Amino acid sequence: MALLEVEGLVKHFVAERSLLGRALAHVKAVDGVSFSLEAGKTLALVGESGCGKSTVSRLVLRLIEPDAGSVRFDGRDLLSLDAGALRAFRREAQIIFQDPYASLNPRMTVGQILTEPLALHDLVPQAQRRERVAELLRLVGLEPRLSRRYPHEFSGGQRQRIAIARALAVEPKLIVCDEPVSALDVSIRSQILNLLRELQDRLGLAYIFVSHDLAVVKHIADHVAVMNLGQIVETAQADALFAAPRHPYSRALLSAIPLPQPKAKRTTVLLEGEIPSALNPPAGCRFHTRCPFVIERCRTEAPELVPDSAGHAAACHRIAELPSADAILPAAGGFSPELAKLVAAFSRKTEGAAASGVGIQGATPTTT
Amino acid sequence: MNAIPLIEIRDLRIRFHGDDGRVTHAVDGVDLSVANGATLGLVGESGCGKSVTSLAIMGLLPKQSAEISGAIRFDGLDLLQTPDQALRDLRGNRLAMIFQEPMTSLNPSFTIGDQIIETILRHRGGSRKSARERAIELLRRVHIPSPERRIDEYPHKLSGGMRQRVMIAMALACDPRLLIADEPTTALDVTLQAQILELMRELKAASGAAIILITHDLGVVAEVCDEVAVMYAGEIVERAPVDELFSAPQHPYTVGLLGSIPRLDHRAEQLATIEGMVPNMAQPPAGCRFAARCPFVLDACTRAPPPLVEVSPGHLSRCIRAPLERLVS
Repeated sequence: MALLEVEGLVKHFVAERSLLGRALAHVKAVDGVSFSLEAGKTLALVGESGCGKSTVSRLVLRLIEPDAGSVRFDGRDLLSLDAGALRAFRREAQIIFQDPYASLNPRMTVGQILTEPLALHDLVPQAQRRERVAELLRLVGLEPRLSRRYPHEFSGGQRQRIAIARALAVEPKLIVCDEPVSALDVSIRSQILNLLRELQDRLGLAYIFVSHDLAVVKHIADHVAVMNLGQIVETAQADALFAAPRHPYSRALLSAIPLPQPKAKRTTVLLEGEIPSALNPPAGCRFHTRCPFVIERCRTEAPELVPDSAGHAAACHRIAELPSADAILPAAGGFSPELAKLVAAFSRKTEGAAASGVGIQGATPTTT
Repeated sequence: MNAIPLIEIRDLRIRFHGDDGRVTHAVDGVDLSVANGATLGLVGESGCGKSVTSLAIMGLLPKQSAEISGAIRFDGLDLLQTPDQALRDLRGNRLAMIFQEPMTSLNPSFTIGDQIIETILRHRGGSRKSARERAIELLRRVHIPSPERRIDEYPHKLSGGMRQRVMIAMALACDPRLLIADEPTTALDVTLQAQILELMRELKAASGAAIILITHDLGVVAEVCDEVAVMYAGEIVERAPVDELFSAPQHPYTVGLLGSIPRLDHRAEQLATIEGMVPNMAQPPAGCRFAARCPFVLDACTRAPPPLVEVSPGHLSRCIRAPLERLVS
């Protein structure tokens, strides 16, 4: 049985009200989203700004209430839980946010931040909480002695480690990661991605990984759902999706990512026009205004998300007629032989050097 | 570079004097040049000095707190010695800049047309009518649909991608010789980023302007730049033609950067990481600034600052262990 089963999730936000408070316009943020996630696996929700990926992640945690649909977590119907049961559920599902500067209380020390969930859920006897905080910090590659410091004394990457440690404090089964590396510099980004994978292997965590960056998703996800204007347009095993994306939107997204490979031979699908507003999504297929393969039928009839025998599903009327995606896919072998050797040598050496603890030289307070 | 450089930066040093008396060495001895029609990518992580360098070129650093030395030669002038009035004539005219955040770099209380026309009238003069025509033409060049109508709209009516197009149109208003683009696509979605990058390539081919593109995204660099300078802790640590930088980098920091990005065209079980942190720029280390984080470090690295030396024609590295091939063969 899947850890998480989401069925027909709908969330419309009221964008405008009349004088009497009647809703005049709705933002259709999420409009009929279904997926499931196995324990210990990673599902990535991908799409551009406003596609509803973050809203889905919050609905799944019941941080906001859906208008329709169901969420089952570990066999329980999440939407029917009362306050007490919901609180218990919070132990099992946690979230980390994009901005590690805004998601930690600046007035609390790291120790207090990490003790709070332990106390709230009464997980660890008071006497052992300090020991547990130390353990959590070590788990995310920080030194226990840092627990007396305040968030402002840490770099962005370290703060994200603290946010991860806080999520881990309650020993959850699921962590929603909402753009967890988007605000970080590239070298720090790789540390956090490696950490998330390592923790998943060690603790059997499931992740919902919300991201706009398909390269990051390719690295971390087992399963991918591509969203456009509140709906999933394609979902598949990550390998299958990256090897042969089917929906024109997935293809456009994939081909738009600049490759760190000068003179890479591939075609970029340039989408014309702007992302339509979720306030008034286009009729028929919601991608039709930007789709290079649009036909009349797309303008009137919304396509179904139809899975094949392998579970690879795409919502497009023309799926059978589309040209092969080979031209837009990056050729393999992005590393030259020299670069591959150098990177291997670089990594070998840094691993050895970091054996005593991961990236903790930032113990010097940053300037304020 | 074979051609005569359009802009040549020599030994640029920028220090910031903080209120508490601390002095931060933001840029320390940067040499750069860009030829007409070339695109230089300036790459590095937060705080490496890449944006400060561009602001120094534009003369936009606060005089009270920033101490600048060196020379920035542009078109026969030394920009650092040029009086403010003359700089104002250059900016928006022969020197133009696009910023990361198109939401905050347009004035919300004027129409986009007013803002473009203002630039044209300030530098080119002429009638308001002809300036308006030129503004419409510029909007058309950056592929804004129905520019005759859009020109009278306010910035808030436009999406992020459109606003960035307007910023580019404004920067191009007076046919600049040098365009500085500071993370021009970072705030945009990937499909819009692809559109803007395509536009930049198109405009470069059409205008022959030189471009300095500041970015942290190595993918963007690979797609649009001819040459790349990698900055770390206020210094240029490597400079190379774009192909060479990506196929055979000669500075360990560049190797770490290239190894740490998740890629669509390469499968890595584990991404490379650069351990440790950027040095405190109030007290830069005596030797190589990357030494504390470098897996190939030797004792000699920490003793004296390494010079930027030519490893192969046109390829410079600030590493005493270069060429790095020796370390892995």
